[in-house]
Amino acid sequence: MRSRAMLSALALTAALALSGCVAGASGSGSAQGGGSSGKVTLTFLTFETPNLTAKYWDDAIARASAKVPGVTIKKLVAPSVDRVGYAKQLAASGQLPDIMIAVSPNGFAQAGQLAPWTDGELADFVSPHSNPIGGKVYQLPYNTQPTPLVYYNKSDFAAAGITAPPKTYAALLDDCAKLKAKGINPFVVGGGGKDTWADMYPLIGAVATDTYQQDPDWLSQKAAGKAKFTDPAFTKAVGKVAALAKKGYIGTAGLSRSYAASEQAFRDNKGAMYPMGSWFATSADAKKPSFDVGVFAWPSDDGSLAVPAYTGGGMSVSSKAPNVDLAKKWALAFMLDKTSLDNSVKTDGSIIALKDYTTPSDIGPVYTETLRLYQDAVKQNAIVNAFSVETGDGSMPAGLADKTAAGVADLINGKKSAHQFGSFLDDEWAKASQ
Amino acid sequence: MNAGSGPRTPSWVRPIAATFVTAVFFLPLYEVLVNVFKRGQDITAHPVSLPIPPTLASVQQVISRPDHLFWYGLINSVEITAISITVLTVVSAMLGHYLARSAGRWAKAALAVLLCGLMIPPAVILEPITEVLRSLGLMTTIPGLVLVNVGYYVPFGVFVFTGFVKTIPVELEEAAALDGAGRFRIFWQIVFPLLRPASASVLIFLGVWIWNDFLNPLILLGPANGTTVTVGIYRAIGEHQSDFGQVFALMFLATLPILVFYLAFQRHFVKGLTGGATKG
Amino acid sequence: MSATLTRPTGTGSPTARRNTRPPAGARLLPKALHFLTFAAPGLLAFLIFVLIPIAMTVRTGFTNRNPANPRTRWVGLLNYTRLLQDSDFTGALKNTLVVTVIVTVAANVLGLAIAQLLARSGWLYNALRSVFFTPVVLSSVVVSVIWQAILTDDGLLNSALRGLGVTHPPGWLSDPDLALYSVAFILTWQVLGFCVVVYLAGLAGVPAELLEAAEIDGANRLARFRHITWPMLAPALTINTVMLLITGFKVYDQVQVVTNGGPGNGTTSTIAFQVVQTTFIGNHIGYGSAMATLMLIIIAAISVLALRVLQRREVTR
Repeated sequence: MRSRAMLSALALTAALALSGCVAGASGSGSAQGGGSSGKVTLTFLTFETPNLTAKYWDDAIARASAKVPGVTIKKLVAPSVDRVGYAKQLAASGQLPDIMIAVSPNGFAQAGQLAPWTDGELADFVSPHSNPIGGKVYQLPYNTQPTPLVYYNKSDFAAAGITAPPKTYAALLDDCAKLKAKGINPFVVGGGGKDTWADMYPLIGAVATDTYQQDPDWLSQKAAGKAKFTDPAFTKAVGKVAALAKKGYIGTAGLSRSYAASEQAFRDNKGAMYPMGSWFATSADAKKPSFDVGVFAWPSDDGSLAVPAYTGGGMSVSSKAPNVDLAKKWALAFMLDKTSLDNSVKTDGSIIALKDYTTPSDIGPVYTETLRLYQDAVKQNAIVNAFSVETGDGSMPAGLADKTAAGVADLINGKKSAHQFGSFLDDEWAKASQ
Repeated sequence: MNAGSGPRTPSWVRPIAATFVTAVFFLPLYEVLVNVFKRGQDITAHPVSLPIPPTLASVQQVISRPDHLFWYGLINSVEITAISITVLTVVSAMLGHYLARSAGRWAKAALAVLLCGLMIPPAVILEPITEVLRSLGLMTTIPGLVLVNVGYYVPFGVFVFTGFVKTIPVELEEAAALDGAGRFRIFWQIVFPLLRPASASVLIFLGVWIWNDFLNPLILLGPANGTTVTVGIYRAIGEHQSDFGQVFALMFLATLPILVFYLAFQRHFVKGLTGGATKG
Repeated sequence: MSATLTRPTGTGSPTARRNTRPPAGARLLPKALHFLTFAAPGLLAFLIFVLIPIAMTVRTGFTNRNPANPRTRWVGLLNYTRLLQDSDFTGALKNTLVVTVIVTVAANVLGLAIAQLLARSGWLYNALRSVFFTPVVLSSVVVSVIWQAILTDDGLLNSALRGLGVTHPPGWLSDPDLALYSVAFILTWQVLGFCVVVYLAGLAGVPAELLEAAEIDGANRLARFRHITWPMLAPALTINTVMLLITGFKVYDQVQVVTNGGPGNGTTSTIAFQVVQTTFIGNHIGYGSAMATLMLIIIAAISVLALRVLQRREVTR
């Protein structure tokens, strides 16, 4: 009995082995054998989130492929939202995908792994020269994400007797005190699990109002060795976050909450304000919480507007793609497809940075308010960089953004003072650029 | 039955205590089990309640995904695991036997070096492995991944088999050799059948490890071919951050085959692991 | 590496010597052919896919390799002198040791206690054993996701504690002084079943007559355990300890999923985690390789120790 079972197991194994070899052989064959038949197979790295589902990608790919004949797209899916880390591992093993979306070009471009976009190809974009690396642009700057804006729970504000969102930082502190007095946590800030980055938003806001508003190029000066994180221009911003934590306005509970869990915590009334990227707007519209959501910009001391934002997020093309020109053509077709752009607005809260683009009319209230806030900031010339999100020349060396996020957790749990945080970042910068 | 517990403790104490301790240990698994049979929205609302009435909605959603994530992953996982552990059992049994029966320092040195290999996290040497595979032309192929698995896990197999071979009297083999049997025949007809418990433990442990491996298939088979059920769990976590029903269902389905595999072999495998140690 | 490893193996035991006498059949096949068929396939695979990659890692550890900096050059021991001053690395080393020690001790002690409890026959005990073994079969990712849901500040455990009237339950994962112990605890839970099963097998090998005779002679429970059961469990202890050391030193998945090395800078970062971060996130492949090399040296030292323990086991038998 047993030996027969063993034999059939062996036979099964052998059969599987055989089919595996055949499948493997045919798989690798189709990847290369494109040229002669006039069809090129290109790999395209995507990632899946609750909003960007498998179907979302498949439909968008089909629309782009319909416009660019001769291209067959093989969709790859990153195993987690961290597609940048995965792309790096693939690059290290010689398998960099031909086309990637929303993968920061930092590191890849310097290593010559990406093809730069020409001015002609960038003609349709509002800010064609954002985040250049060595003067060239490697990622299509197709959308702008204000990061962060402060989304707030209107019911909580009303319960605490707050009639309008704060215009100045002092007013924000007042409101925090009022909320706290009512037993409402002022802020929900995440950063637990593998999503340490999610604790960055208060700091990005504070750096925007207290450092970048005065000196938009502050980080480039740091990169050039002319400024330090221990300078008052920077520690003032850090000190604000430390003080918010010390007063209990930002709790340590968030340090155990993943990104998804912190959004859920805001929805579950665990805090009144949720500093987050503009993509939260569509999430709030699509699945409305039990309360109304409003939005304001992280306030500055004097009440003037400074909205941190990052423009980019689009396609990058590998310099070693089987046919770089065709890959670029396809990537542009994907990017400029009106339906895809509308979907991107509706599912991911993108603010499209293309000339001649009109936002669809059937968008929700929180997105509308977010967009209006952003357009005001553009009119007032009040857009600044989003600290640690920047890429390209004069931005942080690889790995430093993660270190910054880890440092912010130390600020929140009281392990580092503003000055210690500054010297920690200076040390890590020195280490990272060695 | 309970003679060993002595006259002082009443006989009902042990089963109650044992059940209680196990129940505490089991709580985290309970959390998964009950949530597999609930709908996503009920999980956030009532994470620990019993699924009444139970529903297969989440399980059905997973197995009927339009991109066949689960089924493709399952095929890949079964294929990679089955081939790897079969090859590994044969290769490490022979090497284990060879080293157990070899005198001399070099055999012991080889064992020591192999033991070091057991402790290396695969992520640490993954990048050079891809270079080796590329130079052999085996990158993104199943044979390539199987060979890497063999190289990486052979120390464990050897560790188990050498221990076990030493409990088998060498006289058995000597007698067969006197009768004119060759080394191959002696090993396969006389020794290997006696190693069954050891083979069971090697199959189970390596089966579990390779089944649960995530990074190797993903990088070595490449993103286009390397989706296994374990990769599927990662992906589901990203995609269903707010609907944990599918995540739990996928966890459950991905674990089921390997759990059944374990239960089928469990009678033998403990003896295999400790056979060399506890006899004697 | 092998030269240093052969040294301490000199204390060959009589048992081993008897067992390792070559069978008479050696003459039927030339020794070389025997080696080629039995030993070579496994050794070759190990050589090509483990030793050569290790050698390549060691080599890269002497360079400044970084994909963002195409000119790779030799930097001698620079990476190593930097490593010794790098608090991120020394911190990770310390964390790894803490986790390994906790897991090794806790899983052995609890494993033995639970094995004593379950060392009876019958369907109930069989079922309970299978429950304990289940986490061993689960992938680390699954285990991590489960425990994350339980241990977050507003997770199931703290909800239960609040229900029992604890107003400020601990932040198991958010408190930097606790998170490392939480990681060690998760790992212990995951491997406990393995220890239980191995100790159960060991206990089954203790002759009941011996224990009964001792009881008649008036030995109390503790004395019976110390003088009869415990010495006979030595081999089980060895197996468990080796497996736990291996598990502890490799720990990566749980850290990555549950804490990402935090909260804060490096509070739960382990060596494996630090190596991957440095190499893949920081792009410092050269530096990360030096880190990996140092890790391998530590691993080799532990292997030597483990091997000595294994041989002592042979002597005592």
